Amino acid sequence: MDAVELNQLSYAYGSVLAVQDVSLSIAAGEVVAVLGPNGAGKSTTLLMLLGLLPPRTGSVRLLGGTPQAAVAAGRLGAMPQVGGLLPRASVGDLLTFLHDVYPHPMPVAEALDLADLTGLAGRTVERLSGGQAQRLRFAMAVIGRPDLLVLDEPTAALDVSSRRAFWSSMRSYVAQGRTVLFSTHYLEEADDNADRIVVLDRGRVIADGTADEIKRRVDVRTVSIRGTDHDLSVLPGVIDVAQRPGRTILTTDDADATVLALAGTGLLRDLEVTGADLEEAFLTLTRQEV
Amino acid sequence: MLPYVRLELRRLTRTPGLLIFTAVMPLLSYLLFTNITTITGQDKASAATYTMISMAGYGAIGALLNYAGGLVTDRSIGWLRQLRLTPLAPVKVVLGKGLAAMATALFPVLLLCVAAVVVNGVHLRAGQWLTIVPLLWLGSLPFALLGLAVGYLATSQTVQPVTFLLYLGLSIAGGLWLPLDILPGWLASAGRLLPTHAYADMSWEVAFGGTPGLRDVVTLAVWLVVFGALAVVGFRRSVRRVAVL
Repeated sequence: MDAVELNQLSYAYGSVLAVQDVSLSIAAGEVVAVLGPNGAGKSTTLLMLLGLLPPRTGSVRLLGGTPQAAVAAGRLGAMPQVGGLLPRASVGDLLTFLHDVYPHPMPVAEALDLADLTGLAGRTVERLSGGQAQRLRFAMAVIGRPDLLVLDEPTAALDVSSRRAFWSSMRSYVAQGRTVLFSTHYLEEADDNADRIVVLDRGRVIADGTADEIKRRVDVRTVSIRGTDHDLSVLPGVIDVAQRPGRTILTTDDADATVLALAGTGLLRDLEVTGADLEEAFLTLTRQEV
Repeated sequence: MLPYVRLELRRLTRTPGLLIFTAVMPLLSYLLFTNITTITGQDKASAATYTMISMAGYGAIGALLNYAGGLVTDRSIGWLRQLRLTPLAPVKVVLGKGLAAMATALFPVLLLCVAAVVVNGVHLRAGQWLTIVPLLWLGSLPFALLGLAVGYLATSQTVQPVTFLLYLGLSIAGGLWLPLDILPGWLASAGRLLPTHAYADMSWEVAFGGTPGLRDVVTLAVWLVVFGALAVVGFRRSVRRVAVL
């Protein structure tokens, strides 16, 4: 039995299709990242998965039943993207409450330790830093020892060091063999923390595989030279050619081969090679699909 | 449900200022009204007893409306949505919130009764105290439901004016500020139909040697059902809309 089975999910906000025909199976014990740029449909997909949003078409099975059944049995832990912390409550208040609500929870002290919050139990949520608040949300999501943990962009609002601290907490949890599904728009995070990456773009699954497989597909670079009218789209590796004032910009999935070939054409002037950012990489990936 | 009540009560003890604030206004009004002879008239002792009940009720209702109005925040920050992903059923959340709210209503009731005895020398038989305090406390249940209804149906923009108007309107027209007998006739007749009047009148009857009238009990029961229905409507709407981004 799969931990998660999404079967041809679709959802529209008004006439805008946010999610189209998303199907996904996650086996127990897998750690899966849903990767995609902003607006790719990640949050909408997760809301449907959690049973908070009824899909327009398609179906969701979690741990062999409905999302509601998984929630009621305390087998699901979820960390929303924003909010969710009750004002004027302390870290300890919230964790004690959740401890009392789940059928097979871990001790509060263990949750504090796991989220690196030991010593902060008495602090009210208003006085937590962004990173501490996010680790509290994490502790709240795992204290019930859920069979399936779902995290919606857990590090979106964090700085680099808080992000590192968060994933270090997360890894100790994953090491216990739990099923985890998280969304992110950082390729690096997906790479470091997931066994498998599902790439969503404009509401569709456009890639699904191990980190290496995905990275190979989105590992594109930008090669920029002094402007030229020559047709460069035929050069090896080139996916896209764009003209800017005074510059010709090539997007390539094999920068070495492209630069070598450019040298051969004699057009190599003012060369700049940069890693394409992820948005760009995704755009490239989507163009390949079309 | 009990874990949720505990959570809410722990939050309350962290910010006692909120609770004190809702009780201080009725207390000050009480001390002022009952110690100005031009207001109390000749019968200071009766006025002290009568107003003790008015202001205790006024304080209890204020605490309830204020507290349950906090539900608007719980909704807007996504806390209720977060709870939907725990094994705690939504109906237990709302019951837990209501029970915790009732705990806040006890404080102004006790405070006003103590002030009446200590400052104004109000003297009632033990049996009267043992009837009046529970009546003032538990009789405020309809207002807890009203508060929950407002908390579910209002938005963060409307909750304050709505709460303020309901609180003041029901209190004044129900005779908690001034006895209904001195209000214009049409307002007095309308006021007798309000839950605030029925609620306080049960205790007034007991304080002046009578027993709660059937009319008051029925009136309060009808409002209990009305406010309860509103709370259920709001609750259902909130459960349906919880995922709206």
